[in-house]
Amino acid sequence: MASCRARVREMGSPPLTGRRLAFVLGKGGVGKTTVAAALALGMADAGHRTLLVEVAAEQRTGALFGVTPSLDDPVEVRPGLFALSVDAERATQEYLTIQLKVRPLVEMMARSRAFHQVTQAAPGLAELVTLGKIWDMATKVHDGAPVWDRLVVDAPATGHGIALLRAAGNARDLAGSGPIHDQAGAIEKVIRHPAATGIAVVARPEELAVTEAVEAVSTLREAGLPVACAVMNGVRRSSFSGDDAHALSAVASDPATGPAQRAAAEAALAIATGAAHDAREVDGLARESGLPVAVLPEVPDLSPGSGGLEALSAALLADPAIAGDHGA
Amino acid sequence: MAPDPDLVGMLEHRRIVVVAGAGGVGKTTVSAALALGLASRGARVAVVTIDPARRLASALGIAHLGDEPDRVDPARITAAGMPMEGTLDALQLDPQATFDRLVAREAPDEAARQRILRNRVYRHLSTAVAGAQEFMAVERLHELVDSGRYDVVVLDTPPARNALDFLDAPERMTRFVEGRGLRLLLGPRSGAGRTGWRALQAGGHMVMSVVERLTGAQLLTDISEFLQSFDGMYQGFSDRASAVRFLLASDSTRFVVVTGPRPEPATEAIALWRRLRDDRYPLGAVVVNRVHLEPGGDGAPPDGLADLLAAAGAADPVGLAGRAADALAMARARAAADRHEVQAIAGALDGPPMVLVPALEDDPVEVAGLARVTRELEGR
Repeated sequence: MASCRARVREMGSPPLTGRRLAFVLGKGGVGKTTVAAALALGMADAGHRTLLVEVAAEQRTGALFGVTPSLDDPVEVRPGLFALSVDAERATQEYLTIQLKVRPLVEMMARSRAFHQVTQAAPGLAELVTLGKIWDMATKVHDGAPVWDRLVVDAPATGHGIALLRAAGNARDLAGSGPIHDQAGAIEKVIRHPAATGIAVVARPEELAVTEAVEAVSTLREAGLPVACAVMNGVRRSSFSGDDAHALSAVASDPATGPAQRAAAEAALAIATGAAHDAREVDGLARESGLPVAVLPEVPDLSPGSGGLEALSAALLADPAIAGDHGA
Repeated sequence: MAPDPDLVGMLEHRRIVVVAGAGGVGKTTVSAALALGLASRGARVAVVTIDPARRLASALGIAHLGDEPDRVDPARITAAGMPMEGTLDALQLDPQATFDRLVAREAPDEAARQRILRNRVYRHLSTAVAGAQEFMAVERLHELVDSGRYDVVVLDTPPARNALDFLDAPERMTRFVEGRGLRLLLGPRSGAGRTGWRALQAGGHMVMSVVERLTGAQLLTDISEFLQSFDGMYQGFSDRASAVRFLLASDSTRFVVVTGPRPEPATEAIALWRRLRDDRYPLGAVVVNRVHLEPGGDGAPPDGLADLLAAAGAADPVGLAGRAADALAMARARAAADRHEVQAIAGALDGPPMVLVPALEDDPVEVAGLARVTRELEGR
């Protein structure tokens, strides 16, 4: 334990599982929602009271747990694991309620077309309010103890996700003064602190997804945002050795081989080739991002009760890139 | 199932090909392969990519795809065994550069142009306003078609959360720039940091003063300035948006919807196709990319494989044959699942023209790989 602490201190910041606020970011189609759900499930299993926050309003978390997350109150989807869907419009109303303290005034604002146009015209205001809501939950205390031990945010696809994370900084820049300026500063402090917040960038072993992940990492770093690790999702594995592949190739290329035997040899070789390709992409992601990369296998069935999500969660939480050297 | 149609042939003599679909289905590769096929048959083609497709760029022999078109060396294409009767240019969308040019074109004078380019709301616009990137993509398309340099422009659309955003973006953006209600309320604001300002409606005044209390005066000043600088320009924006909409709905255009053989992108592809059909946009075909084909052997077990592997020098031929048989069973199951998904798409859309592209082991890394995709899209 002592040596672990020393190592953690050496690296400057705790592993992702040691941070209260985790953001899961990635290109559309890489499995962000799945990774966020698996991460949150793992944190809850490790005994943390965990909130999984869905931002993209796609309500995909529901399909993974068989429960639809509520827009109002967190719903317990597994023991110790709660889910909530954050919607910018609703969060804006909530924010106004807190700020203005006068219900009719809030209702008038919410109905006002001009107000909606201001929120649209003020670049990043919707993101700021969303981020503010997340920050509020991450820092909420009840009876002297934090309400949530861990928050996992399933962020929108890369560009929009980065805009969300930069919202506080942008708002400080745009709003020269006033409550929004001050609050943005408070939010930014938490979002940028590598002991409190960590960003996991998800990719798949495909060129575009890896390129986009690497570019996202550098954009986030330039913005001073704490990137903790990368996750490569859907990585194919092979049990076939180089010697196996040699024998399989010989059989596959022999004209005397029957069609079923050839098909089997080719199917085995395709697995070996696919796994080698994916391993190269994992190496590339690690090299180009300079981040520890957690590797997740392909899981064909993620429906509730199939055990697919649980398997992913176990793989994720056992990975040193996510949990450090000592596991969760 | 009927043999695949020749999608490249279907797209010949069109001026615009829009390639749309969910993220992660291989839209960029399909766009480039279609462009290659059209150029090969004699058209002057530009392909506009959205994602930083580095490997595609290097496959085409272009060091770095930029905002300006780069010509692909025809020798690279003929070397890959494809005839090259036309020309192929590639470029990558740069939303900010596109918008800056639009402002330069539409601004009445240099002072107005400078005022907009310096405005902080404007500088955040291309990343912060929903649909801005889609709007720029459509604008770039307009520029390229107008330039007269191309017979056909192939557009790889932005990976929107909802691929339908693409169609609504121009109008939404125009409405935003127009900002009718907001203009009325903000009125002319003079000088940064000024807190007192005229509002024309009492209710509106209330709203604005609350907003000002929350955001500070600076933001409202910036927004007001932004909208004022666009005065007299939004008609131009609006005209362009309708011109593009007209072009996209005309017979010069074809929409190609790309999906993978998986439920999530397929659901999006089906919704997109239906929306396009209902709004009478000209439909091309549905491309199902990365389909796993049925392995050989007609479903028979690979009996006797262990003996063959033993003869080929395998250390543990029985164990290896067992694992290979498992691999074959998995490949067959995957092919069956993909077939099922393809049939589900065809059924949901009443049999649209459909082209299947088999899963390659790797993304195309050279023109030869891209040409393979082109041939699949030609139904060969």
